[in-house]
Amino acid sequence: MGGVSTVNPVAVTAVTDPRAHWLAAATETAAGLPPELALPELRAAARTRFERLGLPSRTLEAWRTTDIAPLRGLEPRRAGTGRAPDAGWLAGLPAGPRVVLVDGRVHAIETGELPAGVSVLGFAEAARRLPQVLAALDTLPGLDAHAFAALNSALFEDGVLVHVAAGARLDALTLAHWSSGDGTAVHPRLLLVLEDGAGAGLLEWQGGQGTYLSTALTEVRLGRGAQLALSTVQDESAEAFQLGGLRAQLAADAKFSLRRWVGGGRIGRMDLALTLEGEGAAAELDGLVLAGGTQLLDHHLELRHAVARCTSRQTFRGVLAGKAKHVFDGLIRVDPDAQQTDAQQQCRNLLLSKQALTVAIPRLEILADDVKCAHGATVGALDEDALFYLRARGIGLAEASTLLVRAFAGEFLDALTDEAMRAALETRLDAWMEVAA
Amino acid sequence: MLEIRNLHAALEGREILKGIDLSIRAGEVHAIMGPNGSGKSTLANVLAGRPGYEASAGEVLFDGQDLLALAAEERAREGLFLAFQYPVEIPGVNNLYFLKASINAIRKHRGQEELDALEFLERVQEKAGLVKMDEAFLKRPVNEGFSGGEKKRNEILQMAVLEPKFAVLDETDSGLDIDALKVVADGVNALRSPERGFLVITHYQRLLDYIVPDVVHVLVDGRIVRSGGPELAHELEAQGYTLYGREAGASRRAQA
Ligand SMILES: Nc1ncnc2c1ncn2[C@@H]1O[C@H](COP(=O)(O)OP(=O)(O)OP(=O)(O)O)[C@@H](O)[C@H]1O
Ligand SMILES: [Mg+2]
Repeated sequence: MGGVSTVNPVAVTAVTDPRAHWLAAATETAAGLPPELALPELRAAARTRFERLGLPSRTLEAWRTTDIAPLRGLEPRRAGTGRAPDAGWLAGLPAGPRVVLVDGRVHAIETGELPAGVSVLGFAEAARRLPQVLAALDTLPGLDAHAFAALNSALFEDGVLVHVAAGARLDALTLAHWSSGDGTAVHPRLLLVLEDGAGAGLLEWQGGQGTYLSTALTEVRLGRGAQLALSTVQDESAEAFQLGGLRAQLAADAKFSLRRWVGGGRIGRMDLALTLEGEGAAAELDGLVLAGGTQLLDHHLELRHAVARCTSRQTFRGVLAGKAKHVFDGLIRVDPDAQQTDAQQQCRNLLLSKQALTVAIPRLEILADDVKCAHGATVGALDEDALFYLRARGIGLAEASTLLVRAFAGEFLDALTDEAMRAALETRLDAWMEVAA
Repeated sequence: MLEIRNLHAALEGREILKGIDLSIRAGEVHAIMGPNGSGKSTLANVLAGRPGYEASAGEVLFDGQDLLALAAEERAREGLFLAFQYPVEIPGVNNLYFLKASINAIRKHRGQEELDALEFLERVQEKAGLVKMDEAFLKRPVNEGFSGGEKKRNEILQMAVLEPKFAVLDETDSGLDIDALKVVADGVNALRSPERGFLVITHYQRLLDYIVPDVVHVLVDGRIVRSGGPELAHELEAQGYTLYGREAGASRRAQA
């Protein structure tokens, strides 16, 4: 035993500070950036933040349930330029206007003619045409302690700004991210700004091949009465680490609805920070997580009711197979002035295997006295009686299980207004069941 | 068509079926009556292949085939049907979709093509008319929020659509008003044919006025203690099961 421990490799790697190698790409990145995106103050602040935070470990409360040890083996490299997305993947995307990003850089903007008041721009062009809007980058509240958000700010090379002017509307736009893998770290970035009374329906689709880390960071700012419906399909490669984040700030009477389908990645964690900052703002967050094999899929959420009369609804569902783990950690914070808050949080899990694990941590911090807050978490297996009933009618066990899982996922799927997307996700769910269950 | 020989079954270590022998030929309707807890539903569940209800001894031949060796879904595909005493609510699964999945699973097993959407709908609508079920129920989730009687009608609808070779009806008449009772009886009578068999479990002789059985069996404490013609049902209605050695303490009269 003593002989083995003398060549303990851990002792060797511990000497180099991992922070340095995560930021190693920074110099190279900076050299390749157009001057508009140098953003020296933002970069310096982000680097300082990351250097202070370091890669999270499980000793941190916020990372206690998310073991990212496998990520430490990745020697992150900057992705080479000029890679193309997989043709089959591209062909499978929903039709209609779209922007394609590859390894965090804008690859193609195929929006056709946009409605008046709507701009969809790569960051470099946004810096020239809408600098005052782009200045919102890294100014929204939340994710201050999130190392991967800091890393994204230090290293992003490009991104997409969607700007909808007051009263304007963008009905549909797909934002597709492709990551080409090869042990790279990519830092996609979206900034979605809807001015007063604006509306937009966006679909974000994340995919890739091989091994990579994505720190995809999305920032959302909604003006008074603005309405954003954002659907995300997280369909990263099976070896990927997807550790992205989202910050959103809602002015009075703004409405943000976020629907997340999460099925990809070896480790997938999403940190969400939402601030309801104007009276009457409403947030609706729905998630459907499908985890199989040894996947770890995680949502960490902080939702802050800062003022009175806001509503929030969170419904996260997990379907777990194999030895997968699903974490949901949701904090609802109600400020002292946020009277008549109505906040609800639900986390429901369906376990298809005895080895799968679910961790649901609801947290409430309520500093106002006139509030309605409810939270609940459930875990269960497939209903044995229902399974037998179906089988007693000739339906095989696999098909019966799929029917019940579909029923469980049904409320999520039924709420999708886009028929084509719903059909695509139903097909995916069936395919997932064939492999996972 | 159904041969049950010396069937034993235990649940949670307690023997419930203590050697059942029953032979039902094609074209026959047999009724089973017996006090609460005597093992009627257990027998139905063992026949249908419910997990946890495995036979500990004995055998069951269905058209000469070893029924107990088959999985529940295989039994259904071979033409066995169980109308549940307590039909299960399945939120989120549409009744029509469920029926379609069921009928196509059975057709596939028989080497038949799947029904197309139109053929399927016509067939279901016809049968829904037969059991006087409002088509609105077809669009709802399976049994969810159905009244007791509506659930039983839904069982008969499924039976009518699937046209099984052999059907076990477990207290399908319980909790039904007189009109619904006739619907259930009509559903069974419409399917009665020289090729089909039925095992009707009931507490009430009344049902047997509508579905006239060939044989009536009395099941007490896991054993068939007597078999006879339809008149046996009348006798039981008048006298209860005291004749069959039920101890006073364990005597629970059948309830609606
Ligand atoms: N899953 C089970 N686990 C343990 N005991 C069971 C189970 N199912 C039934 N039993 C017991 O087996 C016995 C027979 O029950 P069964 O349901 O077969 O009676 P039954 O004749 O159908 O009665 P009823 O007329 O009330 O429907 C009862 O004592 C019951 O409590
Ligand atoms: Mg019973």
